[in-house]
Amino acid sequence: MIRFENVSKTYKNGTPALRDVSVNIDKGEFVFLVGASGSGKTTFLRLLLREELPDKGRILEAGRDIGTLSSWRVPYLRRNIGCVFQDFRLLPNKSVFDNVAFALEVIGRPRSTVESQVPQILDLVGLADKARNLPGELSGGEQQRVAVARAFVNRPLILLADEPTGNLDPTNSEVIMALLERINRTGTTVVMATHDKALVDRMRRRVIELDHGEVVRDQARGVYGIDEPVIR
Amino acid sequence: MRVYLRYAVKETLTNLWRNRMMTIAAVLTVAVSLSLVGAALLLKQSAAQASAQWQQGTRVTIWMQPTATQSELANVQNQLSTLPIVKNCTFFTQAQDYQEALKILPPSESSVLHVSDMPSSFRCVPTVPSNAFVVESTFATQPGVYRVTAPEQQIRQMNRAIRILQVVFLALAAVLLLSATVLILNTIRMAIFARRREVSVMKLVGATNWFIRVPYMTEGFLQGLIGSLIAVGAVTALHTWYPLHNEFQLNTNALLGTNAVVLVAGVVIGSVGSAIAIRRFLDV
Repeated sequence: MIRFENVSKTYKNGTPALRDVSVNIDKGEFVFLVGASGSGKTTFLRLLLREELPDKGRILEAGRDIGTLSSWRVPYLRRNIGCVFQDFRLLPNKSVFDNVAFALEVIGRPRSTVESQVPQILDLVGLADKARNLPGELSGGEQQRVAVARAFVNRPLILLADEPTGNLDPTNSEVIMALLERINRTGTTVVMATHDKALVDRMRRRVIELDHGEVVRDQARGVYGIDEPVIR
Repeated sequence: MRVYLRYAVKETLTNLWRNRMMTIAAVLTVAVSLSLVGAALLLKQSAAQASAQWQQGTRVTIWMQPTATQSELANVQNQLSTLPIVKNCTFFTQAQDYQEALKILPPSESSVLHVSDMPSSFRCVPTVPSNAFVVESTFATQPGVYRVTAPEQQIRQMNRAIRILQVVFLALAAVLLLSATVLILNTIRMAIFARRREVSVMKLVGATNWFIRVPYMTEGFLQGLIGSLIAVGAVTALHTWYPLHNEFQLNTNALLGTNAVVLVAGVVIGSVGSAIAIRRFLDV
């Protein structure tokens, strides 16, 4: 599903963000991306979204080299990728329903699709009764669930999550993780960048650790720390 | 498609309403500058029309001294009939000129005139208007000639005045058009800034670039269009009520042409302004 082939990326100010990264993620995998701040996690996700282009190497998604994609096709690539962020990125002046519907409307889905899909997905994240509320009237955990609903309403092949639990307490983090797992079980590939040690340790999923832009560990059923034997 | 049309119209109107002060400023600047452009164009056309009309009947009038002798008159007449640049000539006797003076001058002035004071005159039409000067220089110093007059000079003076007026109008209009473009650009920029969250979410969920751009483009387009419609009204009013119209008989075609230019210019300004804003600030 996702394939990095010797990908390097250096930003204009000279700091290398990724160095010769080769990673293969299969369809339906659940992958944690861990590492200190500035280790290249966010760059990894931005490359997947084609917000950046690699300096060297190739990135393949669903068998396509996204580096050769002409810019007008990028939106169509992004329709296959859902995104969740630490800061939710909801539109404060739209209701919960409209926030989720917005994701369908701007890619030209007809009204009937919007009206059938949005209640369904709100039901999935357990917010059917808050459809008419504004995001400001919701707790952080609920807002993040709206964001997950928006990311998944279009049934993308890949779900990217950049510190989705970074602003949440452990209870709400659990709820979000349960949701991501559930989404993963439908066959969606999930890539999640995180700092949350307890969460990674408990889930025992594949862990890719980045350090100064290099993959220092790729462990099938890994934990956050490096106190276990690591692949160097 | 219908969903999108509704979306684009809604977004455009919302943007216009949110930035209504800026929108009004932009629309009025477009209107004023395009009115000036339209006025300058009308002026140019009426000037062209005027000189064409005047030059068609350009006459050189050779006024003879009231005391001119028969031989002097015959001499001038002979020369005129042999001069190839003179198309035709009519001789006005003192009595005829007196009658004309009575018609032209107010009674208070014409009453002191007497037939014997009046010059007789040759009214000549040169083959080419500019030959009027040759006729003038040939006859001005001949015996018995009082003076030679040609309207060419007045036409030139008027044309120069109109040209200067036109340059001033167009220079003013150019400055105003530039500021109108910048104002529209700024309005669109503010609209984009006000919606940067929405735009970033749209990009994230895969809205196409055109989907994001179109509402801002229509916003600038509409501002230009409304401004130019106001200018069209102003130009039409000028054409209808300004006295130039009656004197020079500008036809409606000239008005239609001018209005078309104004309309196109407004739309172009609006589109260019928003296009620049989108390129610089929308980043899609």
